[in-house]
Amino acid sequence: MNSSPVDASASDASSMPQKRFSNLRSVRWRIDLGVLPSSPPASIDDIRRVTADTRRRYANLRRRLLIDHHSPKYGKASPDLTVDNPLSQNPDSTWGRFFSYAELGKMIDQDLSRLYPEHSGYFHTPICQALLRRILLLWCLQHPEYGYRQGMHELLAPLVYVLHFDLDHLTQVQKLYEDFFSDEFDKISFPEGDFLSSHRIRRVKNWESGIEIENNLHKITNDHSRDELDPDTREMLLLSDSYGAEGELGVILSERFMEHDAYFMFENLMFGDQGVVSMASFFSPVAGSNSNLPPVIEASSALYYLLSIVDSSLHSHLVELEVEPQYFALRWLRVLFGREFCLDDLLVIWDELFYSSNSRYLDNDVEFNFEVLCSPRGAFIAALAVSMLLYVRSLLLATETATTCLQRLLSFPQNPDMKKLIEQAKSLQVLALESNILSSSCQTYSNKNQLTICRGYSLPSASALPKTSLNVIADRYWEEQWRVLHKDEELRKQSNGHLSSSGIMKKILTKRLSFSRTNSEPFEGNNAHALSSVRRRLFDDSSEVIEAAKDHVKSECNESPVISNNLNVGKGFPEELADQRTSNCMVEETFLSGHNALVVSTPTSPHDIGNDHENESEKSSITSNSFLGDNDEETISMEESCSQNKQDEESTNMEEPCCQNLDKQLAQDAEATSSGDVDSIPEQIAAPKDQKPFAGKFQWLWRFGRGSKEENQESKRSQNAGHIQKDGFDISQCDGTYASCGINKRIEVGDKKVMDTIRNLGQSMLEHIQVIETVFQQDKSKFDPLDNLSNNILGGKGQGTAIAALKELRKISSLLREM
Amino acid sequence: MVLVLAIGDLHIPHRAPDLPAKFKSMLVPGKIQHILCTGNLCIKEVHDYLKSLSPDLHITRGEYDEDVRYPENKTLSIGQFKLGLCHGHQIVPWGDLDSLAMLQRQLDIDILVTGHTHQFKAYKHEGGVIINPGSATGAYSSITYDANPSFVLMDIDGLRVVVYVYELIDGEVKVDKIDFKKTATTQSAH
Repeated sequence: MNSSPVDASASDASSMPQKRFSNLRSVRWRIDLGVLPSSPPASIDDIRRVTADTRRRYANLRRRLLIDHHSPKYGKASPDLTVDNPLSQNPDSTWGRFFSYAELGKMIDQDLSRLYPEHSGYFHTPICQALLRRILLLWCLQHPEYGYRQGMHELLAPLVYVLHFDLDHLTQVQKLYEDFFSDEFDKISFPEGDFLSSHRIRRVKNWESGIEIENNLHKITNDHSRDELDPDTREMLLLSDSYGAEGELGVILSERFMEHDAYFMFENLMFGDQGVVSMASFFSPVAGSNSNLPPVIEASSALYYLLSIVDSSLHSHLVELEVEPQYFALRWLRVLFGREFCLDDLLVIWDELFYSSNSRYLDNDVEFNFEVLCSPRGAFIAALAVSMLLYVRSLLLATETATTCLQRLLSFPQNPDMKKLIEQAKSLQVLALESNILSSSCQTYSNKNQLTICRGYSLPSASALPKTSLNVIADRYWEEQWRVLHKDEELRKQSNGHLSSSGIMKKILTKRLSFSRTNSEPFEGNNAHALSSVRRRLFDDSSEVIEAAKDHVKSECNESPVISNNLNVGKGFPEELADQRTSNCMVEETFLSGHNALVVSTPTSPHDIGNDHENESEKSSITSNSFLGDNDEETISMEESCSQNKQDEESTNMEEPCCQNLDKQLAQDAEATSSGDVDSIPEQIAAPKDQKPFAGKFQWLWRFGRGSKEENQESKRSQNAGHIQKDGFDISQCDGTYASCGINKRIEVGDKKVMDTIRNLGQSMLEHIQVIETVFQQDKSKFDPLDNLSNNILGGKGQGTAIAALKELRKISSLLREM
Repeated sequence: MVLVLAIGDLHIPHRAPDLPAKFKSMLVPGKIQHILCTGNLCIKEVHDYLKSLSPDLHITRGEYDEDVRYPENKTLSIGQFKLGLCHGHQIVPWGDLDSLAMLQRQLDIDILVTGHTHQFKAYKHEGGVIINPGSATGAYSSITYDANPSFVLMDIDGLRVVVYVYELIDGEVKVDKIDFKKTATTQSAH
């Protein structure tokens, strides 16, 4: 639906079946602005009738307001001279009105003399100037609360230009098919008496047609009937036919009524046709109804808000330099970018702009951030502004002071790539629309943000606008979880040094997992900062984990097979480390490349490595199964060994075979893992904070194998409970192990915990569901099939995270099923 | 739509301290394009005040004016009309229509503005208009008793001139209007 081409003026109507009159900009714009009926399919006759009505209204208005106060008013007794004399102070007197008109006229004349000097051949002719002046004067008189503000003339000028352009087009077509258009018989033309006819070729039509008879290159002879005309020309014929509905007054492309048409186009543009964006409000300093700010200031903040979502580094740079948005946005918004682009480019932009509807698409009770973003047209304006900012991004980032930055902003490059700008604007438009809605759970947060935003971005806190509201919730939730678990960890520290430390290990793991889960939350833009910080935390954690495990294992094993295993472990750990790192790097790559990647939220589990293809998930499940198989043997052997060994050594033993499994796993997955950014690994090796044993999940297995020591079990339970809610896959895997081991003692162990587990599982399910919801909300309107995948970075990421969340849900549900 | 103010014989400070307050409130800058002042201001301050009302000020010399450089007669053209200005004390008998008509023919003008009598008069005479705006302050005159403050505002629009007369009678401003239309330009006899 949104696939309208950028340059509509030259294209054929048939290429865009949904856009009528695509080659007649004035008609198209009149429909888009609401002057002409758009309810499809309005017939030409209907359009003509509406046109005639509007023209009558304008004529009345003109007659009424530009009164000639000399003419005696019929039905009015001799005017009261004390009121009606020229020096009267009374503003209602005709003279008072005369003087106010004169003042307005002077202001308007001043502006008009400076209008479009590069097109002065058209705009500075006395006829055109008089026309523009009259229209502006009448509009200002009709709406005295707005008065005349500088810039209104620049909104009007392209409208008049477009009307004139179409008339020229019409004359060309008329020349070509003159037999159908002309009223001439016997080669006698009837003078039209139009004021612009001196500028047109029509006057010399007879002379030229005489010459063309000889050439006969382009002239269509009389043999052709009307039906043989192509649809465009036929349409033109109907639009300019003097004999259609409403006769002369209904001729849609009419020179005589150019003023009337331009007036109504201008009026509808200024008032937005009862839509959201009304240009008139941009000119008034009066505060809008929603916020305490004038609408243009609010719109400027809206565009900064959008920029912060899309490109927060540029945004923060601008805020740092204290470049308030209204410094440059005022000019951009008030004349709808008329000063930044040349006239031809501007027409293309306005095509797109008017094509977006102006009606409010939110219900009245839905809270929103910015008034201006409530309609697609407003969102397009903001999106175009942001895409313009992004276009000169490098220039802006290079500036050091506010003045140079503003200089660069106010002198936008001469011939930008319009196609690119507009495409980007269209994609950002949807984003703007979505980000405008506040979900109910984040009300206060967003309100707080709105306040900071509305303070005009003078506070640096405004620049710290985070990704999305959902992220905030997610962070808080997971942090909370971590804190809860951390408390347990503290408790256990006293009771049981080794085991508690293993518990701590588990906590670290879960923390890591939780952060990685945050990673998979949807975020709207290339929020490199947050992402890298999160990733760094992940790396640190994993380094801690691995280092600690390494040390621990090294310190505690005392048997030769153990030692040999240890060597393996020693080898395995760096590999594991690498593996973890690569997996994390994979995560990074995935997000940056924007492929439809499966970002699985548990990169710590060695089988769940971020992959590029969906079938790899199957592979990972296969490997996990194989792991299970391995575990089987290991568990059995473990059981035997466990019963023999002491607790300490058991745990060690537990880890070793598990590490062995890990080794095997690594070997299996070696080819699966693409060697991501291994370079970043060396830097990440940080000193471990604690001596924590590795692979808390294997504790689970150990516990099952062991089946004893209540207090440990207690601690394990809480650990495991925490563990379960974070790592669904591991649970299912462990559960599989449990089932395969066939040890039924577990039942009473797990029973009490089942309740808690289920509760926690439910909560995590809810989280995942929320994730998916937001992702698909973003995706729903901007889902571009296939072609735009490369451009659709956000969609790709969103899809990836959605799929990840779905996987988690699936795991959890399977787990619940088994319980 | 050209507004021309015809004013004179203020005799400030000798015979009157200032313009009446009501007149002053009406005369605001920006509305009037030309001022024709018949004379007898008498001092420079009045000249400056009138200058502030409109940049285009024309004054002729009255017998009590302190600035001796003002001319005796002045002619100018506004729109389709030719206007002439004279104080009037030179034309004897003072205020006599035929004598003033002589001056009009002499200067070859359509509208003649004179003063000195301190009494408002407007004649349509021989295809032309002779206007006497009276005294803006209602200053004492030896030939007129109980002169009311008055002045004249002309609205020249094409071939038509509308004369608004503002008079202060019993403390109230009274306005009157007279329409003059110029016939198609006649050949001037030389």
